[in-house]
Amino acid sequence: MELLTAVSVGLLFAIGVFQMLRRNVIRSVIGLMILANAVNLFLLSTGAYDGVAAAYTTSSGARSDALPQALILTAIVISMGGTAFVLAMLYIISARYHTADLDEVNGLKN
Amino acid sequence: MNYLALLPVLVPLTGAMVGLLLRKQRPLQAYWSLGTMLTALAGGLWLLLTVWQSGQPLVYNSGNWAAPFGIVLVGDMLSAIFVVTTQLVMVMGLIYALGSKDKVVTYPTFFPLFLTLATGLSGALMTGDLFNMYVFAELLVISGTVLTAVSDDRYGTEAAYKYFYISLLASFFMLLAVGSFYIAYGTLNMADLAARVAADGGRPLLLPGIAFLMATFMVKSAVFPFHFWQPDFHTAAPTAVSAMLSSVVVKLGIYGFLRMTTLLFVDQAPLIRAVLLVLGVVGVIFGGLSALGTHNVKRMLAYSTLAQVGFILVGIGWGTPLSIAAAIVFAFNHSLIKAAMLMLAGYIASRASVKSAAFEVVTGVGRPLPAAGFLFFVGSLALAGIPPTNGFVSKALLFNSGIAAARTWSLLLIGVTSIFTLMYTVRAFQRIWWLAPAEGITTKPAGDQLVAPALLLGLIVALGVWAEPLVAAATAASAALGDPSIYIRAVLGG
Repeated sequence: MELLTAVSVGLLFAIGVFQMLRRNVIRSVIGLMILANAVNLFLLSTGAYDGVAAAYTTSSGARSDALPQALILTAIVISMGGTAFVLAMLYIISARYHTADLDEVNGLKN
Repeated sequence: MNYLALLPVLVPLTGAMVGLLLRKQRPLQAYWSLGTMLTALAGGLWLLLTVWQSGQPLVYNSGNWAAPFGIVLVGDMLSAIFVVTTQLVMVMGLIYALGSKDKVVTYPTFFPLFLTLATGLSGALMTGDLFNMYVFAELLVISGTVLTAVSDDRYGTEAAYKYFYISLLASFFMLLAVGSFYIAYGTLNMADLAARVAADGGRPLLLPGIAFLMATFMVKSAVFPFHFWQPDFHTAAPTAVSAMLSSVVVKLGIYGFLRMTTLLFVDQAPLIRAVLLVLGVVGVIFGGLSALGTHNVKRMLAYSTLAQVGFILVGIGWGTPLSIAAAIVFAFNHSLIKAAMLMLAGYIASRASVKSAAFEVVTGVGRPLPAAGFLFFVGSLALAGIPPTNGFVSKALLFNSGIAAARTWSLLLIGVTSIFTLMYTVRAFQRIWWLAPAEGITTKPAGDQLVAPALLLGLIVALGVWAEPLVAAATAASAALGDPSIYIRAVLGG
């Protein structure tokens, strides 16, 4: 299980970074989202194997750690807001520059 | 339980929410925001004085959960000084926005976003919890990005997109650091983490965590290898906002580095300091040379921030109590100077025929504006570190601490390259106020108001002549940083 999590986090990181470096703006945003999920999975793995029972319940067994779950919840909400904002900016940029190629969005260079 | 440590976060946040309700009454909203920020500044000064007199950090346990389980807000000398800097510059930014002719200040959410920017920054400076710092830093980033994206400058959205992308990556770095520390030490409370790292510095994920955290703060402060977004972002932002971004917002990383080297990772500090020293020297040289090569006043000042942040990093890198005090003084003074200079650049742009600070547009525009010329001249002196300005005080303190620490090479390098500052500011001054305007370039009869930069420059000269209180506060802060157990005991008790 640990190996599986480690491999999947690593794979998600690799895919995310690769997509982020693409020139197509849409692809790079998708890369960003994948990267966000990779980070969330990494955070989950910090407390995932401590126990099987939910925290703050009456069920018996080893308790799982509630803190990483709370952290991920916060991180998901923030990255959702961030993604929505990035997409809104992308919409404006694609309308203004008539392109989805990041190399052509270079108004600041000139 | 001490509510004074809560004020710098609570006041601007409440002000922003009420400001949103006042969106239909624009003048009322603007003055309400200014009043809120002034109240926050008063609160910040009160906090600073209280901490200074008692010598004990003030701790607020949110929700009455004791540290290390709850989130704490900690006001020690370092946080208080940075918070007061933030609030002081933010007040000036609001005054500038009140007298600005930009279209962006008429948007209903401009002033609330300005206040959430202040909330995010004060919160990140006050918090005693690493994850909470991430949340506040996100608030800061989103407010700053939105304010830039709606800028009058047509490249605002492009610059905002660039910055937001980079800062999302910085947030991922921060989350990775948080995860690493949580695996290794099982805590996110900064005081608790510091105590546990000091007790056992050999856990496997400690060094990667430090590296991730450093990368985060480097992006936040636009330190040399992570600086590329900064000139674009700071040039395209509306003047009132860019004056904030380039002065106080970049200080978040500085604060982070100070906390890392003096509280969190005292045993690993020599390694961090060595990296910061090299990056600082490179930043000073690179920033100075780039500022010389630009064709836009705002861009020049943005590159100059790169160089000035480099000076502060060198101060942190030397790491003696004297040089840390010098770095704190430098950070405070640079915030005031850079805010004033960027406001003046924005003022000139607002009087130019096209709203831009490019040299080809603003050459000769300053001829009918001697008052702004005088202010710009004083600001240039301050930036270059010439008396009677506070820039001289900060540079004198920094170089003195370098001499005392016998760091000959780095001192020599930054000493020689600080000549660049004078070269680029004088070149800009010459272009705007001395050269004859090109054919068809005229000065507009009206533009932004000069109140805010005039106030800031008054303060700059006053602090240059009477630097004693600031230096004493920074020395007290540096002395308190020398003993991390003060902070740890205040938060954890016992």
